[in-house]
Amino acid sequence: MTEGLNFDYTVFIPEFLLLGLAAAIVALDLAYPAIRKQWLAYIAGCGLLATAGVSLAWIDVETNFADLVVVDNYLTYFRVFFMVIAAVVAFASADLVAQRLKHPGEYYGLIIVSTVGAIGMAGARELMTAYLSLELLSFSLYILVSYAKFDRRSNEAGMKYILLGAFSSAMFLYGMSLIYGITGTTYYSGIAAALGERATDFEWALLMGLVLMIAGIGFKIAAVPFHMWTPDAYEGAPVAVTAYLATTSKAAGFAFVLPLFSNAFQVVHDDWSWMLAGMAAATMILGNVVALQQRNIKRLMAYSSIGQVGYLLMGVAALSHASASALVLHLTGYMVSNLALFVVIIAWVHMNDSEEIADFRGMRERAPLLAGVLAGALFSLAGLPLFAGFVTKFILFQAATDDGYLWLAAIGVTTSVISLYYYLQVMREAFVSAPAEGAGPLPVPLLMRGLAVAMMLGVFYVGLYPQQLFDAIDNATRFLFV
Amino acid sequence: MLNFAWLIFVPPLAALLVNLFFGRRLGRAAVGFLGAAAVGLSFLVAVAMLIGLWRLPVEQRTVTILLWSWIEIGQFRPEIALLIDPLSTLMALVVTGVGFLIHVYSIGYMKLDDEHHELDVRRYVRYFVFVNFFIVAMLALVLGNNLLLLYLGWEGVGLASYLLIGFWFHKPSARDAGKKAFIVNRIGDFGMALAILLIFRQLAITGEAAQAGSLAFYDIFAVIEANPAALLGIAVAASLLMLLAATGKSAQIPLWVWLPDAMEGPTPVSALIHAATMVTAGVYMIVRMSPLFELATVAGSNVMLVVAWIGGLTALMGATIALTKTDLKRILAYSTVSQLGFMFMAVGVGSYVAAMFHLTTHAVFKACLFLGAGAVMHATHGELNINKMGGLKDKMRSTYLTFTIAAAALAGFPLMSGYFSKDAILVAEFGAHQYLLYVLGLGTALLTAIYAFKMVFVVFWGQPRDKKLYDHAHEQPRLMTWPLWILAFLAIFGGLINLPFVASLEHWIEPIYELGPVGAAGHPDVAMEIVLLVLSALTALVGIYLAYFFYVKQPGRTDAIRERLSALHQVASAGYYFDRVYDSIRQGLWSTAHFLADTIDRGGIDGAVNGVARGVGWLGERTRRLQTGLVGVYALTMFVGLVIVLGYFLITSLVN
Repeated sequence: MTEGLNFDYTVFIPEFLLLGLAAAIVALDLAYPAIRKQWLAYIAGCGLLATAGVSLAWIDVETNFADLVVVDNYLTYFRVFFMVIAAVVAFASADLVAQRLKHPGEYYGLIIVSTVGAIGMAGARELMTAYLSLELLSFSLYILVSYAKFDRRSNEAGMKYILLGAFSSAMFLYGMSLIYGITGTTYYSGIAAALGERATDFEWALLMGLVLMIAGIGFKIAAVPFHMWTPDAYEGAPVAVTAYLATTSKAAGFAFVLPLFSNAFQVVHDDWSWMLAGMAAATMILGNVVALQQRNIKRLMAYSSIGQVGYLLMGVAALSHASASALVLHLTGYMVSNLALFVVIIAWVHMNDSEEIADFRGMRERAPLLAGVLAGALFSLAGLPLFAGFVTKFILFQAATDDGYLWLAAIGVTTSVISLYYYLQVMREAFVSAPAEGAGPLPVPLLMRGLAVAMMLGVFYVGLYPQQLFDAIDNATRFLFV
Repeated sequence: MLNFAWLIFVPPLAALLVNLFFGRRLGRAAVGFLGAAAVGLSFLVAVAMLIGLWRLPVEQRTVTILLWSWIEIGQFRPEIALLIDPLSTLMALVVTGVGFLIHVYSIGYMKLDDEHHELDVRRYVRYFVFVNFFIVAMLALVLGNNLLLLYLGWEGVGLASYLLIGFWFHKPSARDAGKKAFIVNRIGDFGMALAILLIFRQLAITGEAAQAGSLAFYDIFAVIEANPAALLGIAVAASLLMLLAATGKSAQIPLWVWLPDAMEGPTPVSALIHAATMVTAGVYMIVRMSPLFELATVAGSNVMLVVAWIGGLTALMGATIALTKTDLKRILAYSTVSQLGFMFMAVGVGSYVAAMFHLTTHAVFKACLFLGAGAVMHATHGELNINKMGGLKDKMRSTYLTFTIAAAALAGFPLMSGYFSKDAILVAEFGAHQYLLYVLGLGTALLTAIYAFKMVFVVFWGQPRDKKLYDHAHEQPRLMTWPLWILAFLAIFGGLINLPFVASLEHWIEPIYELGPVGAAGHPDVAMEIVLLVLSALTALVGIYLAYFFYVKQPGRTDAIRERLSALHQVASAGYYFDRVYDSIRQGLWSTAHFLADTIDRGGIDGAVNGVARGVGWLGERTRRLQTGLVGVYALTMFVGLVIVLGYFLITSLVN
């Protein structure tokens, strides 16, 4: 059984490094309790970036580990992707965690461990491996969401997240077992082969399995109708964790879905495509419409992220090499814009102690740089030209129309039109409303300013010169369609 | 040869960045100077573009200047590139030329806020940053070589417009107006985005994307010319979506409702954005994309005629509403709606030259009228009700004279610029055998002359109606009157760029489009054209006399007429109830969104969570009871489960 399989553990060097880093940070915090807690963030962030650099060594390498995990450009892309996101979140949390949360060592440790889970989801080519990675990510997130131990909202959010998360995991597992029952294997390639020559008797079981798996995934990425947990979890979690939820957790879902559907289920594309298309439509509409009514910035971001998931799902529904590239490109542009926005939100919410959108008033005068980045990030999320969001969304919509989903693209255009409205409401508070009496300029830490500017440059890079990035992505997704 | 053209963006961009970051330290004088001088420099670049283009042989007058390749994905490869051709150069000249004069005027005008206090220096800076940003976006709109850049500018000018309408944000009416303009324009933008997607998809499906994957205008036209069948399938849908976008931006039926409210913005903004430049973007876009519109017409659906009739009806309705209004800026706003309708009429019968001609002259005289209205507002402490004015001509000599000249141009007084351009449109309707549209246009021209001179007579002639206002009134500083004089001068002689029988603008624009089947209807013969010219002149003169009769000689008569036509008057002054209908639609949508948010967001989440909690409790209760330790109960449970699963497979096999 094990003959001919490749047990080369060196392919996991980046993951080993990450786990070592996580352990080292936890140990450091334990051994030297007097250490300035910001240093833990810096070590975590720098370590993550360094590991991202190490993982570049696998560019254009094609290998695998026991056929369970494939190492190719796709994995390399997402390794760098997740590590950079985690690094940005770690840096952005430095002050917040030091001043508001207990046990900073474990906080950074969990972020790093969950990154390993996210990477595993992108690399897995076997259902159990994927499931374990997914749970590694999920369990870390359950803890992170309820990290503000003495905040009732945080606890409640964590509880809801765990309950519903466990429920969705169960659905996913049941779906997996049905698929296993039909095909007799848990390897993606084996599933595809078995489905290719399947007898018609299994049509219903296959459908059930797909429905259950999609429901489980839908929960992770917060697609309608499995989105219910999102606003509460986003609102209750410490704001830096909200940022992490909105980025890594979501992106990991898509990094997992692409290989799963392209390698295992592409042969039965017609059986699930319509489900995802319907979900995409409902998600776009509900997320963007309900966002109109939000007063709390974290809830607004929750619904905004639900809307964005709808756009991304379009790319899965119309799955092809072109749409996968478009999806990853939009995912990247979206993540950069989202991080830019969250860096601003983290800094602002931390310094002002309020999450109401109304309390963003006067940002232009109190922290002009943050206000500028806020505007840029919101424009990008709304899909205005010059910013990342326009070109990536346009390419995604266009890929969807190529595959016959013109109606989905039409809904996408309509809902992005709506989305600009609620983004502008945030901007109006920040730019037009006068600051509260006696509120002076805010001393924004240099690190936060640097991060905000760096993310903004990223937004413009994707918006103005997307070519290089797209070529890299195209070269990565190519491996999913061989 | 024309490679310097990108320089046109540099001065306003630089000025806006400098003002944004250092404006407060520089002080008012420097901020205003910088903002205006930058647009002046852009104008010089536009003039250089004109000269450069002029020196090229006619058939080479479409120059594409590639700045960088944006992205290349398969066959989708839009570029960041400028298109310099007679049409875009004309637009650039109008935007920067009129824009420069309005900027100069703004230096003086914006020193005071809407309540005539000194304007805060930060707001002063913000104003110039916004208007410079507008110029940049508008230039991107007219100079971009492909649909995506057009869309970029389209969104940009919309944003600038939204920001500037709500500039007096402490006034709720200004905030509401900004919001309204925003929402209405987004409906139009939706049409634009969808049309672009539709066009690219069709190109990809028919395999023409290799040719036109850049979405550049001329690449698309080349496809239309070489293989009309390729885009035939979507020509109607795409051109109707684009028409929707144009009606939003250019305030035509059905999306015209935002423009009158947009007058809440500062007056120079009304002149620049909501009269001279941005609102003409819809006209420009249809002219630019006319091969597609003509293709749709060839395909059997006469989209062009739809354009013409939308224009004609909007022109008539706008003019009738303008007649009923007493707010000086609202009269001008409805007049703009009406004049844009004229341009749509011209485009709709394929007379792109007449449309562009009227666009140009209108930009000049309407800017002059708005700036004059601004001067009157300054002189009367922000009063806008013309029934409180009167007799201002002795107090404000320059304003009075320039306003009258511009009003004469608007009315189509013989030999003024507006006379020639409006006549060109009427002749085109006649030449295209659209006699009904011709009559409609002539009637509208009569109404136009009446309301144009109603303004002149009521505001500047007669006795002062409000002594306090009159005593306060005074002429404005030179910085504001000079732009008025220059615009007035151009309003008189602007017609020279396209004199009938000389027709230089025609030779300038026409070669870039082979006239399609719609435009080919051509001119009526010379004798007929002269008859029409005389008819236009008479119409204007009769209109002006009627205004004189009703507002100077026998002012009491208007009340009697209003009473006789009270029903009509009411409908017109209520803007034909468009606002009311839209308002109820908006409220309906809003309460739907509210319902969704309430039930699905709050109710749904809490309901689900409470439900889970209750469910778990209930289950606990049940299971406690079920876990009775009785084997029989367990067996029964298993049996029930088995029945359910078996029943499922039984049913599925029956279904199959």
